[in-house]
Amino acid sequence: MARSFYALQEFAPAPKHFSLLPFRFTRFSEKELLVNEAGEFIFVAEGTIRKLLDGSIDVTSGLYRDLKSKQFLYDDTSSPLLDLLATKIRSKFNHIYGGTKLHIFVVTLRCEHSCHYCQVSRQTAARGEFDMSTTTADRAIELMMASPSTHLTLELQGGEPLLAFEVIRYIVPRAKKAARIRRKHLDIVVTTNLACITDEMLVFFRDEEVKVSTSLDGPAALHNMNRPRPGNDSYERAIEGIERSRSILGSKNVAALMTTTLASLDYVKEIIDEYVNRDFHSIFLRPISPYGFAVKTKHRTGYEMQQFLEFYKEGLAHILEINKRGFRLTEVYSQILLSKILTPFGTGYVDLQSPAGEAWNVLVYNYNGDVFASDESRMLAEMNDLTFRLGNVHRDTRRSLFTSPAALKMFGASCNQALAGCSDCAFQPYCGADPIYHHATQGDMYGNRPSSGFCARNMEVIKHLFSLIEQGDPIIMRIFWSWLRIQNSRNEPSECD
Amino acid sequence: MRLTTSGVSSNFSGEIVGIVTTDQVDAEFRGQRIRLLSTDESSREPDLTGYRAAISVGEFLQHPNVPFIQRLRETEHLRDGDIIAINGKTGFVRSLYRPYEHHHHMFVTERCSSNCLMCSQPPKDKDDTEALTKRNLELIDMIAPHPRYMTITGGEPTLLGDNLFALILQLKEALPDTELHILTNGRTFAWGEYARQFSTLHHPNISLGIPLYSDFAGDHDFVVQARGAFDQTVAGMHQAARNDIRVEVRVVLHKLTVPRLTKLAEYIYRNLTFVEHIALMGLEYVGYTPRNIEMLWIDPFEYQDQLETTVEYLTERGMTVSLYNHQLCVLRPSLWKYSKKSISDWKNLYLPECANCREFENCGGLFQWAVRKHSDHIRPFS
Amino acid sequence: MADPSVGRDHSKAVVRVETALVSIDALMKTCYWFSRDFSCGIERDGEDAARVVLSAKDHVSEDQIASVQREFLAQAMDFALRERIDARTSEIRDLLLAKAFSEAGVLEEKPSGKFGDAIEEMKPDGMFKILSNAQR
Repeated sequence: MARSFYALQEFAPAPKHFSLLPFRFTRFSEKELLVNEAGEFIFVAEGTIRKLLDGSIDVTSGLYRDLKSKQFLYDDTSSPLLDLLATKIRSKFNHIYGGTKLHIFVVTLRCEHSCHYCQVSRQTAARGEFDMSTTTADRAIELMMASPSTHLTLELQGGEPLLAFEVIRYIVPRAKKAARIRRKHLDIVVTTNLACITDEMLVFFRDEEVKVSTSLDGPAALHNMNRPRPGNDSYERAIEGIERSRSILGSKNVAALMTTTLASLDYVKEIIDEYVNRDFHSIFLRPISPYGFAVKTKHRTGYEMQQFLEFYKEGLAHILEINKRGFRLTEVYSQILLSKILTPFGTGYVDLQSPAGEAWNVLVYNYNGDVFASDESRMLAEMNDLTFRLGNVHRDTRRSLFTSPAALKMFGASCNQALAGCSDCAFQPYCGADPIYHHATQGDMYGNRPSSGFCARNMEVIKHLFSLIEQGDPIIMRIFWSWLRIQNSRNEPSECD
Repeated sequence: MRLTTSGVSSNFSGEIVGIVTTDQVDAEFRGQRIRLLSTDESSREPDLTGYRAAISVGEFLQHPNVPFIQRLRETEHLRDGDIIAINGKTGFVRSLYRPYEHHHHMFVTERCSSNCLMCSQPPKDKDDTEALTKRNLELIDMIAPHPRYMTITGGEPTLLGDNLFALILQLKEALPDTELHILTNGRTFAWGEYARQFSTLHHPNISLGIPLYSDFAGDHDFVVQARGAFDQTVAGMHQAARNDIRVEVRVVLHKLTVPRLTKLAEYIYRNLTFVEHIALMGLEYVGYTPRNIEMLWIDPFEYQDQLETTVEYLTERGMTVSLYNHQLCVLRPSLWKYSKKSISDWKNLYLPECANCREFENCGGLFQWAVRKHSDHIRPFS
Repeated sequence: MADPSVGRDHSKAVVRVETALVSIDALMKTCYWFSRDFSCGIERDGEDAARVVLSAKDHVSEDQIASVQREFLAQAMDFALRERIDARTSEIRDLLLAKAFSEAGVLEEKPSGKFGDAIEEMKPDGMFKILSNAQR
């Protein structure tokens, strides 16, 4: 018996009405930008939202098909595929599964630099006084291993960690052994100014597969101005250190991060060119750190953030030009946001998550065993603000750290889904929460959105990227995708500093 | 190349599967073999003891005491080592397996739960699953040498139920190094329990090739002529992925699928990210396609824009894409590196204008039935 | 219709809105976003309307006042839209988030529709009937 064929109407009848799936929106360059719970977005003509609410979208139109396919609405002619949407949402929250991945060990507070923006280091301390003891290190390793994550990153920090090289030499093999026993994958990075790096240290790092991350604030004059040390040769030593590290460890194991200061704001192109000249292929244009300064008026913070945003936009444009010329240079923050906007994946970047990455994704073990929810909260402690001290390795277990009053209080302010201003924001899936930042700059973990530097920065950068996405210049999009392909193939949790 | 022929059968009424041999072989090898005799040989009285069966173009003067088929219409397509199935009731001789071919298919049923407008193997509502499973289990044991790949196809293989599992297990045992690819509409996999059972077969190297024709449910359902198919297929792919079963998406390119092709690519990227490969396939003028040609035909030359955009979209995002069944003269040069010479050996043909084409060796050519319908833009490169 | 009017004092913007169009909650959310640069007060104006008084923290010109009124009204209308979207979607949003964060399989939909061909559907013990019974 031969089968019959049926017309399109049998399978795609025009639905009599449709239902909405959850979404948030903003107005953008005379269009409406709709974003759903999984971070999928669509640009539609002005007035479309009203039509969605009034039920007056033409159900036979391409727009209707687009909205249905992207799960902004559904009708009774087919399944709403809620499980599919739930799966996509879950992927975006990948970071909460698996426990803390990044563990920062502050092996010493001693440092021979006296950088303006640093709040923690001790220049004149004697050896041992502010170094992590072996008992503290042992306990910290135990706590690190208590994290359920199968992939851990150990970041050795300071002060200047190389000044306590013996502590590093103690920690590294023990951490690696502990990881092997528990079948966890362990990456180790040391963040150092490289001023006192020796070949002996580099050989150790090479043999133990330890990566190096250093500071490069820009060309010599700027870098040295930001980072004074005896002899005023921080830049020269950093460059020499980078060269030597690359030759012994391999270029891919040596990274550089910049710190932005007021002085940096006029030199974005020079800073970027410095990175290109030194053959680095990624640069992170970060805002001026708000931590450690005396409480500023909100206008001053606002002014600085506005200046930074100009710095960022000009920098990104310059970076795109460099990419067009054939030199691959990724801007890290843009890459993270583009990943959130354009890909279905979650990201591991701890400073832009909801629930916030503090404690969930990063823990800081200070030289004296105090455990903090982030590096910034350790800096606050140096100014006697212990709000985010979760406990101490000698007294606490992982459980007691996570159920400490400090932790619980912080968690309450960690979800942007439940923060004033954020709960309605179209960019919610792309942004995050940062209770520590808001506590430090506004005296309130929950934060006040209209005057928040965190909000201003993220909203402006996201809008800037969306304007580029909306313009859709194929060359720029191709560059963006080349950045995203690297990130996905590397599949590592991104470092934060 | 020819797949079937027929003749006059005697001495048996069921189906026999065997390996063709054109020469006499020793007794110990005869049990699995079907002796193919030339006219000359069959007119003498060959010793056929121990052979599974005998077939010949000519007539046997004296009837052998093994199952046989005589007066075969054609035999040029049969070679030593081919595995064939012969039917005692109908006299049909069907080639199942040719060791020298590059692409191997195992046909498991004509039944299907969909009824695609462009189906190259139109379904029949007759339960052939028991008979074909019996045939295929015998076939698996005879396949030599072990091929690198084997595609299991139909109809809809999952309708075999446990029989499909039996085939896969047998393939796992007899041909452990052969990579299996199952062409399925994926709908049965929407049942988590089925996907779980499938994964417990633990075949070391197996993947599903699942068609998806639109990002819009109604359009996909129309192409496959089954209500709810889109929902089931998408759910099926997810259950498969969840059970660590590898999934590939196939898209046949025609007038109904080309308009939203880039949106389909976006849909796959955001919703079916686990897909390991996307196959974009040219239309075959066979099966149902001629009947529905008005709805389906678009000259491939006309959709090169969408195709280029779609391939760029997917590869930009790190996804793997292949183009099948397109001729190089019809494809944009930027797409050549994705084009695979994939037309099965028995379907393959070149037009007269292809004879002097510079790219002849690199081009997959056309389907046999393309003489009746092909792009207006076929031309040789000089 | 909502109706902006200019206050006598050049550092105050006043906006009058019918609460049927924009609820008090939506007005409060709008005020929140203006609160960095303005002190905001909301008062009822009759039964059907509310008045929002935005007092600038720094001095602003008359032109700026008019633009603030326009901007406030536009944003208030958008918050009203958000309320309507939320009313229609909050339940399904809760369901989606529950599904997203529950264990695999716990809150999943059971497959529905016709899966087999005519032959399978006719069997009393067809594979899809068996699968359907097996699924909890």
